[in-house]
Amino acid sequence: MVCDDCKNKPATIFFKEVNPGKIVELHLCEQCAHKRGLLMAKKMSPVEILQKMLKEKSAKDEKIICTNCCLSLAEFKRIGRFGCSKCLSEFSPQINNLLKQIHQSDRHVGRNPVRGEKNGFEIFKLRAKLKKVLEKEAYEEAAKIRDLLKKYGIEDNK
Amino acid sequence: MASKIINNIRWFLPSQDREKNSEYDEIVVSSRIRIARNLADLPFELKMKHNHCEQLLELLKNVLTGKLKGKFFGMENLSMLDKESLLECYLISPAFLKSEKPSALFITERGNVTVMINEEDHLRIQSLSHGLNFPEIASEAFEVETTIGEELIYAFDKKYGFLTSCPTNIGTGLRASVLLHLPALVFTNEVEKVLKGAVQIGMAVRGLFGEGSDTKGNLFQISNQQTLGMKEEELIDTIVKLAHMIIDIEMKARDVIMNKARYEFEDKVARSLAVLRSARIISSDEVLNLVSAVRFGVGTGFIKDVELDTLNEIILVSRPANIQIYFGEVLEEYERDVKRAEYIRKRLQAEKK
Repeated sequence: MVCDDCKNKPATIFFKEVNPGKIVELHLCEQCAHKRGLLMAKKMSPVEILQKMLKEKSAKDEKIICTNCCLSLAEFKRIGRFGCSKCLSEFSPQINNLLKQIHQSDRHVGRNPVRGEKNGFEIFKLRAKLKKVLEKEAYEEAAKIRDLLKKYGIEDNK
Repeated sequence: MASKIINNIRWFLPSQDREKNSEYDEIVVSSRIRIARNLADLPFELKMKHNHCEQLLELLKNVLTGKLKGKFFGMENLSMLDKESLLECYLISPAFLKSEKPSALFITERGNVTVMINEEDHLRIQSLSHGLNFPEIASEAFEVETTIGEELIYAFDKKYGFLTSCPTNIGTGLRASVLLHLPALVFTNEVEKVLKGAVQIGMAVRGLFGEGSDTKGNLFQISNQQTLGMKEEELIDTIVKLAHMIIDIEMKARDVIMNKARYEFEDKVARSLAVLRSARIISSDEVLNLVSAVRFGVGTGFIKDVELDTLNEIILVSRPANIQIYFGEVLEEYERDVKRAEYIRKRLQAEKK
């Protein structure tokens, strides 16, 4: 069967439209179906979107650098991976659009991290540091660390 | 050694505390959830130095062994064969198997929840179940996630949610997937159309072992791609709804086959079972295809003397690394094919009694 539109290529797509009172049947080749807008554009996977977007380089990319881990935007675009928990907010103006394209959204609506009484890691570190400065009798520094601990909801008076 | 392998596939086998097989268990082989998490105060994989890796492992060892029941072990202590077996049992990812960084694995007491430490993200929490069973595995995965989150601070941004190495996992860090057995759709050549539809609504379709793997044994893995902008429950619901839709289409294709080609179908199923029961040399790919036919037969009620659980066990134990661990010896390919046939014959014979 040849395509109804171009009468040339073999028809591979069968399309049936039901209108009140009549049924239209079309036999089309892929190209003509595309011309009529009957085919959805091939959807890109997030990985493909990422690869494509990362190719869009700018001269400024080398100069935009994460203040925490020193990853440059250029490096991020080359590898497609963040270097630390600060990179995303540092690059946010440049890559918000990328996230929108990948996820059709740029806003998290799911769960928040559960904050228990003890916030292990940071607190372990701060407590260890506090112990050290107290041993050195550096009370000013100790007060600063206690303030930080308070932010986590922890009163540490030891 | 056989017990070691059974231990790795416990999540897939019948046990007292697990629900009875549901009507979909023949089509939905298994369900999986994985959550990607990173700690706020350590650099991500890309920028991690050796001491950061050590620090990460130490922290997680303390939290996991202190708070949860299960086994924690360093991956460097495992042989390549053991690691391959863990992959074949879906307990680790292909990337984790290949990783050369210091890394560790935690397996909970029940054996169906694992935490990969130092994968692409600091943590990959994964929960598995036979059949279609998301409520249970979601709560189990989030219980582990919460337990860790009570002790350690996750990398989290108010706007973007949980932060991950790769922008494609950001937000919830959640990937839900189902492994579907679709023999009738493959037979009627409709499977490509159906799976393309799944891709159109934003799902990823893959073969048996995830990204880049072939589809074998009429098995297809479907998972969500979007992780940001939807709630965890919504992402899971989308996969469940899609699974139900595909089950419906598969069932309709089965009706067509039963109406038009019943004897051809029955012949293929009966012959496949006969080969499994009597073969002396068999490859793991051949097992996948034969088990698919028998599974189809069990699903339609044509085969009555083989349990789905037995077929599930055979698929997993037959894999190249698993069969070696089952027999407790390193086997060349040819020896494996012989031993595999022996195991399957015995397993199906035990079933008959």
